[in-house]
Amino acid sequence: MSQAFRLPFRIWASLTIRDRLGLLALVMIPGVLGGAFVTAIGIAVLGPSVLDFLAANLPLVRFFVAATAILLLTVPTAFVLIYLELKVIARMNLRVGPNRVGPLGAAMSVIHGLKVLSKEDFSPSGVDVTVFTLAPVVTFLASVMTLLVIPFAPGIYGQDFNIGLLYFFAMGGLTVLGLLMAGWSSFNKYSLLGGLRSAAQIVSYEIPLTLSVVGVIILTNTMSLNGIVAAQSGSIFDWFVFKQPLAALIFFIAATAEANRTPFDMTEADSEIVAGFATEYSGMRFGFFFFAEYVNVFIVSALCATLFFGGWTAPFNWPWPATLNGFDPYSLGVLGWTAIVLVLIVGGTEVLAPLIRLAGGRSWDMSSTIWMAFAVTIVIGLGALGALGFVAFGWLRGLVWFMAKTYFFVITFVWMRATLPRIRVDQLMGFAWKWLLPASLLNLFVTATAVIILNR
Amino acid sequence: MPTRPSAPRRPNARATSRAERPAPEPVASADDPRIMLDRQLGTLYEPIPPYPTRTEREGEFYSLGDGEMFLNLGPHHPATHGVLRLVLKLSGEQIVDVDPVLGYLHRGVEKICENSDYYHVIDQVDPLEYISSLFQEWPAVLAFEKLMDVQVPRRAEYIRVLSGELLRIASHTLFMGFLALDLGGLTPILYSFIERDEIVEMLAALTGARMLFNYYRIGGVNGDLNHEFMSRLGDWMSRAGKQAEANTALINENEIFVRRTRGAGVLDRATALRFGVTGGNLRASGVPFDLRRAHPYSVYPELEFNIPTRDEGDSLARYLIRVDEIRESIRIIDQCLNNMPDGPIMAKLPRLLRPRPGRAWGAVEGPRGMQGVYAISDGTDQPFRFRIHDPSFVNLQTVPALLPGNLLADTMATVASLDPVMGGIDK
Amino acid sequence: MDRTLKTRLEARLGGHLRAPVYQRHDETEIRIDPGSVPEVLQTLHDTLDLRFEILADLAGVDTGEVMQVVYHLWSPMTTDWLRIVVDGISRDDPRVPSATFLWTGAEWLEREAYDMFGIVFEGNRDLRRIFMPPDYTSFPLRKDFLLPDDAARSPGAGVRHVEKPHVTVPPAEPATAIRRAPVS
Repeated sequence: MSQAFRLPFRIWASLTIRDRLGLLALVMIPGVLGGAFVTAIGIAVLGPSVLDFLAANLPLVRFFVAATAILLLTVPTAFVLIYLELKVIARMNLRVGPNRVGPLGAAMSVIHGLKVLSKEDFSPSGVDVTVFTLAPVVTFLASVMTLLVIPFAPGIYGQDFNIGLLYFFAMGGLTVLGLLMAGWSSFNKYSLLGGLRSAAQIVSYEIPLTLSVVGVIILTNTMSLNGIVAAQSGSIFDWFVFKQPLAALIFFIAATAEANRTPFDMTEADSEIVAGFATEYSGMRFGFFFFAEYVNVFIVSALCATLFFGGWTAPFNWPWPATLNGFDPYSLGVLGWTAIVLVLIVGGTEVLAPLIRLAGGRSWDMSSTIWMAFAVTIVIGLGALGALGFVAFGWLRGLVWFMAKTYFFVITFVWMRATLPRIRVDQLMGFAWKWLLPASLLNLFVTATAVIILNR
Repeated sequence: MPTRPSAPRRPNARATSRAERPAPEPVASADDPRIMLDRQLGTLYEPIPPYPTRTEREGEFYSLGDGEMFLNLGPHHPATHGVLRLVLKLSGEQIVDVDPVLGYLHRGVEKICENSDYYHVIDQVDPLEYISSLFQEWPAVLAFEKLMDVQVPRRAEYIRVLSGELLRIASHTLFMGFLALDLGGLTPILYSFIERDEIVEMLAALTGARMLFNYYRIGGVNGDLNHEFMSRLGDWMSRAGKQAEANTALINENEIFVRRTRGAGVLDRATALRFGVTGGNLRASGVPFDLRRAHPYSVYPELEFNIPTRDEGDSLARYLIRVDEIRESIRIIDQCLNNMPDGPIMAKLPRLLRPRPGRAWGAVEGPRGMQGVYAISDGTDQPFRFRIHDPSFVNLQTVPALLPGNLLADTMATVASLDPVMGGIDK
Repeated sequence: MDRTLKTRLEARLGGHLRAPVYQRHDETEIRIDPGSVPEVLQTLHDTLDLRFEILADLAGVDTGEVMQVVYHLWSPMTTDWLRIVVDGISRDDPRVPSATFLWTGAEWLEREAYDMFGIVFEGNRDLRRIFMPPDYTSFPLRKDFLLPDDAARSPGAGVRHVEKPHVTVPPAEPATAIRRAPVS
């Protein structure tokens, strides 16, 4: 520690907790007040011009908001997927899974995340440090950037490129780079084997993946994912899974291989090459790989749902009323709806807690009663609110359907992991090149011929 | 505001400055960049022995050809069935040669047994193949009974056969689970453990222990059948057949599993005989050699059962043989229960056992092959030489002959299908 | 107990046997010299009325005076186990011809006998230690092996007692009592 810090540190070390808090408050309160004052002046002076600029470039604002939202939402998504996988595989193995941390073990992923963050950050000797550090970043980013084009609901999407699908596959292909970097830079033969296996696998399965999707592109004449979803709106029989069943099957299989999931998880076969390319990674670097894998699972499920199962469209068109007895749900605005939700939760908890205590929770302590009231409020209140929203907001309907379909595929992936053993590397590659590639070419040929014939 | 006196301070570790603390000792570390050169680093982690090679085979193995590399499937590995170190010479993903390195679990059981008396030997010999420990006790007890000319009562023999066959089923079920786990299937291992748990609880009711039973005695067994054991056994027998079918169907009918194991690690008949392989591995290569029929011991001559044999010799055949053996074991248990004679369970023996000087060999058919014991007695109450012949030891010896030419992924399938248990291999 | 086996063995191996064929329970035992090992094993393996094709076990024995190698063989032509005791191997320079020319599986069994006793099998391509570390100097199953002495000679300089101060024992002559077997 340099000399300059010695005396202040001595003083700090000699204070009690109360003294320290007092000192902090003493220092921070003027700081906060001053900062607030300066911010207020800044907003007053510069605010209008900034707002004008933003209003003039609304798409830019929209893009930044979307990108931030996507980055922020990948981690909770990964958390949910990790927890889901642990629980579902456990139930299929006739076990219970995590059930201690949080209600039904739901806080397990959070704890995993915190644990992974708090580990020592080291790299083994002999690694190529730059490449070693960047590999997880590249893998994670390559997965996350693809979320930009997926339409979650009518109006909720990042960007609507007219080459959206091409962008998707281009970004998805960057994961190969990340895995190769990881395998090569770890000074470890296991990682090398895993990295090379993964590169070979992903590259071979990308071809049937993209070719199977070309059939869909031919049918809809556009690569924009919004356009593809719009082409499937209508009824369930407009979904492309009925018009392109072979392509859907090939896509599903190739997507499993792209996401490195069992039965194609040779790259991380933990009974042979310990953890494949990620053997020498620990702590948050491994956390990145881990999250990237689960986000990848979410992404391929989302894409499967979007391309072949209608995305956010409902299977049948229910005649939802346009307005609810003249009440326009958008009139309340974001603040209004937030206020309603908060009042509902807090009020419901406060009303229900004494009722529960009276009804027989006398043996419970205070916090359990409050938790119970909270849970009941959430279930009933938010359920009712959700139903109201479902009827009122089209985007909420679309989002719910999209999430339902995506999670259906996620559960299928998890199911496959619990049930199937691994395929050997050469069998994997043989399958891709000898079966999936000809099948996807066949599908393409048939689709093109059919389109030409039917358009005559 | 008035302050209360602060609590007595514990000496702060950072209170002493670095100059006042003793300097840390210099440690030679592989991570210290000042002392490592690149070329040293390149060979630091290679599994090449640090001395000049001494034998012909060692020299042949540790010299690399063009494009080959060593990969160390080290003692710490998720799937090597214990602490086994396999040094693989790979050319890409294809295995060129294998050198298994043993001894990580060597406990000196033979030496310990030379210093224990005859009862203690039975307890010492249990943890050899801990999964099926009655089959480690059995040949020892057979050899000692030959040394002492002891006649075992028939009821004791039937109880031995009954508990042995139950343990054989438990061991085979566990083998199936581990084979599936090594190939990537997460679920069958848990179903195997459910099966095994039922059997092991049964045997706990009979013997008092769940894993290292210490049940057989010279001249009989330690405890008679009791009510809890019989009720659990009856319960289990009523479900056993169907449950075995269901558990094996999970793996048999899985296309991926079959394709991974078919044709992997083919052991042909001549090679198997030359290596001295016994047990299910030999029968999967076409040789119908089962010690219960070839050299019958105990009451096996009176029992009716078949010896499943297959010709292919690949991992799938070894797996299917064990599935068939489970069925045969259920038949044997059925017959034991029906024909169980009455009588004593232990022959009359003096408390201090001093056999006449002599030599005896006893061998039984364990789940992995022929388990044998060669005992020499010198007239004292401790065996003079207690030699244990373990089937997994010879089974594992075939690995350098089976693996070359296959891919790295087949290592797991082949080694798992041979069903080695390192406790027995390393003694 | 197979009496016909005794006559067959005496007929085929007459000159090599150093003691009468001994039979007890279901075991038949013959004794030979170390030099006769390849011939005897080959004869037992190939002769059509003997056909001892399965090598069941290969063990080393230290009787205190001499060393022995004991083979156990199985044949479909007889109900007995055959035990071949190769007697008279000197304890100072134990050498026996290897059985790997006939059974490849004998390689590891001989490695184990070498590791535990120091018996050198001539003809074994891979005679190195199998259980003990490759730079280990003693042979554990010998009768003159005493663990504290061995530990004292090792780089660790003795067995450490957790409650007493560590005293380095100077390497002593291994003159502790050798347990001699009255059985030859």
